[in-house]
Amino acid sequence: MTDVKPTKTLDVCGKICPYPDMNTMTTLKKMEKGEILEVLLDYPLSVERIPRNLQKQGHKLISSEQLDGPNHRMLIEAHGLK
Amino acid sequence: MEAVMTGLFVGVLFGFVLQRGRFCMNSAFRDAILLQDNILLKTVFAALLVEMVGFAIMDSVGAIAINPKPFWWGANLLGSFVFGIGMVLAGGCASGITYRFGEGMVGAITAVLGLATSGYFTAAGFLKPFKANLQEATTIPGADGTALTLHGLLGMDYTVLAIIIVLIALLVWFLISRSKKEECEADPGWGWLNTGILIGIVGILAFPLSAAAGRNYPLGITAGWINIVQVIFTGATINWIGLLIVGIVVGALIAALISKEFKFRFPKPLVLLQTFVGGLLMGFGAVTSGGCNIGHLLSGIPQLSLGSILAGISIVLGAWVTSYVMFVLPQKRAE
Repeated sequence: MTDVKPTKTLDVCGKICPYPDMNTMTTLKKMEKGEILEVLLDYPLSVERIPRNLQKQGHKLISSEQLDGPNHRMLIEAHGLK
Repeated sequence: MEAVMTGLFVGVLFGFVLQRGRFCMNSAFRDAILLQDNILLKTVFAALLVEMVGFAIMDSVGAIAINPKPFWWGANLLGSFVFGIGMVLAGGCASGITYRFGEGMVGAITAVLGLATSGYFTAAGFLKPFKANLQEATTIPGADGTALTLHGLLGMDYTVLAIIIVLIALLVWFLISRSKKEECEADPGWGWLNTGILIGIVGILAFPLSAAAGRNYPLGITAGWINIVQVIFTGATINWIGLLIVGIVVGALIAALISKEFKFRFPKPLVLLQTFVGGLLMGFGAVTSGGCNIGHLLSGIPQLSLGSILAGISIVLGAWVTSYVMFVLPQKRAE
């Protein structure tokens, strides 16, 4: 477990393609630079796709860990566009 | 062993590769405009090129006789455009929703129900006359009455043209990748090229095995789901493509269990309705056009069928228009 305290938590479990990615990106856009977003997701494609698209927006993936089954927990540092 | 049983074997392989490779053409086309993410698109191209080489060699040595789909411009345009709209609503292409059925994604299961229902009614039910009339009214046959193909149009040998196209594609690919600085995009999982090559190999394997069972065509999806509907409701016997579908679901289930990714995932009821409606559009579109993203794009384009090439373009356009309206526009408005 990473001991970084998330500023905000986003639960996109059960959502269909491409909402896990879309919701994560739009939430990150509204956050200040350096704030931490915790994302809970269970869609395997997005688990791989979110990290590779984060850097295009300047956000930084701190960690991505598999919990039980397909459930994952990601910690992302927002770039702070706003 | 009966010849149809190879469908099950190919299906398990296909389902396993689809699940591990996250192969989905809906994501491939949509992500290119929505996320500027081209990884799955590159996988699609790799699979097409591998298949083209395999089909060209097998056709020239007589292991298969290619069987390109006919050119029905009206049915190809309309059906595949509707299919493209449907797959964005359903959250997956025909193969995507089939492998996610095996992963336990309930939204994919309701999409499959929609696809199978409307596919059945378009192939054998009340929508059949509409489909048949549109196909007949817009048919343009090749010179000798066969399906219109790129090699037929150019008066070339299939194998020669297929190999030329592959060589040109590889050259273009080489030039593009040399001119661009190597993007260090994280590409976890199997890697896009490995997935593309494996999908291509499954497609190559499918052709002679399916032909041996009396169905002279490589991979497909929609016809398989229709066969399953007929087996359940009209007492038909299961055929090669029906067993292929059973295999895909089982293969994806095995892959998901091994990687601990199996879980029943329930979206909200309204989303389930959305994927069901998407599936309805997909089934109607695929049968009207004579194939889904697998029958036309993955299996038909490597055989240089003009109908499949047009259908492929139309699927992409339908997906792009829908993605733009559903995802890009709301984002722009919010900014």
